[in-house]
Amino acid sequence: MLLRGLTWLILFQLIGTALNVLFLPFLPSPIIGMLLLVVFLRLRGRVSASLETASSGLLRFLPLLLTPPAAGVMMYGNEVAADAAAILVSLTLSFILVVPLAGHLMQYLVARQARKEDA
Amino acid sequence: MNASLLLAWNAVLSHPLFLLGLTLGVYQLGLGLYERTRMALLHPLIVSIVLLIGALWLLGLEYEAYRDAVLPLTLLLAPATVALAIPLYHNLRRIRQFFWPVLITLLVAGVFVTAVTILLAWLLGADFAMLMTLAPKSLTTPIAMMVAEQMGGVAAMAAAFVMYTAVLGALMGPWLLNVSGVTLPAARGMALGLAAHAVGTSRALEENDEAGAFAALAMSLMGIGTALLLPLCVTLWLLL
Repeated sequence: MLLRGLTWLILFQLIGTALNVLFLPFLPSPIIGMLLLVVFLRLRGRVSASLETASSGLLRFLPLLLTPPAAGVMMYGNEVAADAAAILVSLTLSFILVVPLAGHLMQYLVARQARKEDA
Repeated sequence: MNASLLLAWNAVLSHPLFLLGLTLGVYQLGLGLYERTRMALLHPLIVSIVLLIGALWLLGLEYEAYRDAVLPLTLLLAPATVALAIPLYHNLRRIRQFFWPVLITLLVAGVFVTAVTILLAWLLGADFAMLMTLAPKSLTTPIAMMVAEQMGGVAAMAAAFVMYTAVLGALMGPWLLNVSGVTLPAARGMALGLAAHAVGTSRALEENDEAGAFAALAMSLMGIGTALLLPLCVTLWLLL
């Protein structure tokens, strides 16, 4: 079950790789694979049990899979030290500002749309 | 006796599975702490990064050696990204229903975060190459590296900034939303995916499937949109 679902996921990843090289050099192959799989599921109209098992299994471990690349943050200590204020302030402050902005804007727009549909 | 112990210790350290085992170990330690306390500061991702960096430093290992050793784990990141298609598909009806809110939020907040990052760094004296390395920090790593490279930034350092943003996302993302009173799952997902890419998406998935779907959508569209528009804007800016 798990294996069959994983095979499908890898297949779509590989199709993504081919399309990335052929036509879409500006998009990473896993993103192309993901979008293709959404289109495929839409056409098929349902998600098979094997794909459901594999995807929920993998997504449960997403933080673990992100750990090795995230630890790479340690490599740039010296470069960052030179421009530390500019880097830390711009990255941190822009993040702190954008999260509430995006959340509230989306929440407001959804509520406005709901009011319009009611009226 | 001492010599043979040292030999055994070295054999353990140099075994190809050692670093993989270490990663799994610290992750589970983090998971245990997090489940007991529910403190964002003890999110498994944060605990793992801190312990791993400490362990690599103690062992005198370079990051490259670590990265190569845990490649089997990192390889699964690609199919895991493809797997986000499933929550996206399950919430497709919702996403289509909220088509305009999604698009407007993405455009406004996406432009806002990129512009504020560049502006603040410029005010604090960063040079052009550094600005172009900082600008794609909200994107998922492969897109951020490509965009930085195209615009004259440093791709590898851009990846480090993406990861710093990821740490912020795990640490503060949901908390910022709680404090500012954003409760709608779709809005929480949009904000987390847009501001903190895969880690934001992973945090949104922890909340619920709908937040996760909108986060995956926001992460993808933010990546695609910025990859197309940012190099264009920078080119136009330099021409003026």
